[in-house]
Amino acid sequence: MSAINIRGVNKTYDGKTAALKDITLEVEEGEVFGLVGPDGAGKSSLFNILTTLLLPDGGEISLFGMDVIRDYKSVRQVIGYLPGTFSLYPDLSVQENLDFFAVMYKSSIEENMALIEPIWKQISPFKDRKAGKLSGGMKQKLALCCALIHRPRVLFLDEPTTGVDPVSRKEFWDILKSIRSQNITVMVSTPYMDEATRCDRIALIQNGKIIGVNPPQTIIDQFKGKLYTFQSDDIFSLMQVLEKCPLDCNYYPYGEHCHIAFYEDMDTAMPAFKQFLAEHNQSHGEIQAIQPSVEDCFIEIVQRNN
Amino acid sequence: MRTILILIKKEFLQVFRNPLLLSILVVAPMVEFMIFPFCADYEIKVLNIAFIDNDRSQISKDIIHSFNSSNIFVSKGLLTSKKEADEKMKHDKIDLLVEFPSHFEEALYKNESTQIAVTANAINSVKAGIGTGYVQEIIGGYMQDFAASHTPTGMSTAMMQQEMMKEMSKARASDDRRPSIVMPTTSVVPQTPVRINISNIYWYNEQMNYKNLIVPGILVILVTLIGCYVTALNLVREKEIGTIEQVNVTPIRRWQFLLGKMIPFWLLGMAEFGAGLIIMKFVFGISVQGSLPLLLGITAIYLFVMLGLGFFISSVSENQLQSMFIVLFLFIVFVLLSGVFTPTEGMPEWAHKINYVNPMSFYIEVIKKVILKGSEFESVMRETIVLSVMAVIINTGAVLSYREASK
Repeated sequence: MSAINIRGVNKTYDGKTAALKDITLEVEEGEVFGLVGPDGAGKSSLFNILTTLLLPDGGEISLFGMDVIRDYKSVRQVIGYLPGTFSLYPDLSVQENLDFFAVMYKSSIEENMALIEPIWKQISPFKDRKAGKLSGGMKQKLALCCALIHRPRVLFLDEPTTGVDPVSRKEFWDILKSIRSQNITVMVSTPYMDEATRCDRIALIQNGKIIGVNPPQTIIDQFKGKLYTFQSDDIFSLMQVLEKCPLDCNYYPYGEHCHIAFYEDMDTAMPAFKQFLAEHNQSHGEIQAIQPSVEDCFIEIVQRNN
Repeated sequence: MRTILILIKKEFLQVFRNPLLLSILVVAPMVEFMIFPFCADYEIKVLNIAFIDNDRSQISKDIIHSFNSSNIFVSKGLLTSKKEADEKMKHDKIDLLVEFPSHFEEALYKNESTQIAVTANAINSVKAGIGTGYVQEIIGGYMQDFAASHTPTGMSTAMMQQEMMKEMSKARASDDRRPSIVMPTTSVVPQTPVRINISNIYWYNEQMNYKNLIVPGILVILVTLIGCYVTALNLVREKEIGTIEQVNVTPIRRWQFLLGKMIPFWLLGMAEFGAGLIIMKFVFGISVQGSLPLLLGITAIYLFVMLGLGFFISSVSENQLQSMFIVLFLFIVFVLLSGVFTPTEGMPEWAHKINYVNPMSFYIEVIKKVILKGSEFESVMRETIVLSVMAVIINTGAVLSYREASK
């Protein structure tokens, strides 16, 4: 049974800015589903619609067979939502926030302690501290506890790791895995491509459109080109020169390096490319064939869509 | 039920953890009660008066003298010219000028018509009005005595006063700053001496004590502030910090949420009102003449009107600044039209019509009637019904305008 079923959802703000265009998605029960895309792609709009906070202009959405618009009251009982910005009461303590949301969901802390225990253990030493005085990572963990306190069937996480340090990010993803093992469907959005590989399936979203849904490995397998990384101290001049490259290739800066995806038979292309670099005084640095990451795949898909 | 209780608990926790809000709730009423009633006073205690006596007769001297025996007027002496008086009034040295024409006394004895000119600085129109009223009273009183002691022919006192009123209404303005009032005095020698003594008795506020009007007014302001201001800021703050989203995704119903917010502020409002009543009794010695349960009951209804209004405002505004401006605007309109501190009797008809939708004007009526007059339910029934209807309408509006999902 699919947990979330989205059919042809549209959303336009102020009658002109199209945030979501004909979104169709299906999320299976018990999977960690990632929504990956740059800022402004429409991730939060989709989350707000799924969590009954925003009405779509058209289309149908059902959660476990319940219509998100018509049956919003029953939908609210089965979803947990962690918004993109911290939105618990900063002037209430950790314990008070948790108590409050437990009652809001007609549940109690004791009832679902087993579910939140791994996270609760980490924040319970600060349970009398005001939520507003917690560190970023702690805030997220508390928010997660509050979103899980009623044992939802689906957990929506809108960019839960944005602005969180790498260690906490890793911890957070470990927690998500353990939540999944409790048969809770997780839908998570992130602008970080490296996190996307930890999902069961990911949907790439850009300009309000879904441009591919697949498990991370499939996405990587579907990479069409042959990817190389170019390491050099002078990426800038290299990038300028690559503009004139006669070969069918796509290049972009990637961290401190430059990634180049070739769509050629490399046996003949590589010597030609090396010669091209020599002609333009770019023989410095070294070229290495690498495995594409999800980000490379995303860039490729975006480029081809354009 | 459990849901509403935790909402109430949460609200109280937040109020008591917000030192600023708490101090506003405690200090603001104290300051309003301890300062305002002592300085907001329409009573004119000192009027500086000067005279131009072109007659220099016994009568004019007597009249001037009679001003000295009044404890309101401070005589600034005799001036010689209109120009000098003008200069003094410009510099606020004098508030009133009384000018006797030449042959004033002679005219009186000859039973001819003569006039005393009273000029008042009308920058403060209340002061000018009250001042000329006092002058009229003193001169009128003197004339009455004069008429009584000079029995022969002439006009009756009553007639004279009638004549005086007529002339008053024709008051001529010497310039727009200082309208002057010309008072006719005729030789006042009634054929049959009729003595009419008018004595004023002020009911429900025997000493005409302005505190009796101001203090209940402050009670009204207090209840309105708690009801409207604090709630309008509260809900919109949840919008600003995003907690409202987190609450909206829970299965809680919107009426539960609003009720959970209203009850704490309703309780706070009632507590403030109770504290106000205690201060009123023990500091100002004004005790509630009417029934206390009636007063509390109507206050409870009025608070619901204000809470509903506050929530309505905060659900239509996006941030605290917006809602604050809307509340401030409404508050000023309410106060100025309602008759809390100013009489409504002089207002034009259209302003009275606006007051039909001004909850404060109904509530102040109740407050004045029940506290000062000791009115029973029958005489405040109309106000109670209107306030109840308002409470229902505005709260329905608040629930409807508070949208869980945005479009």
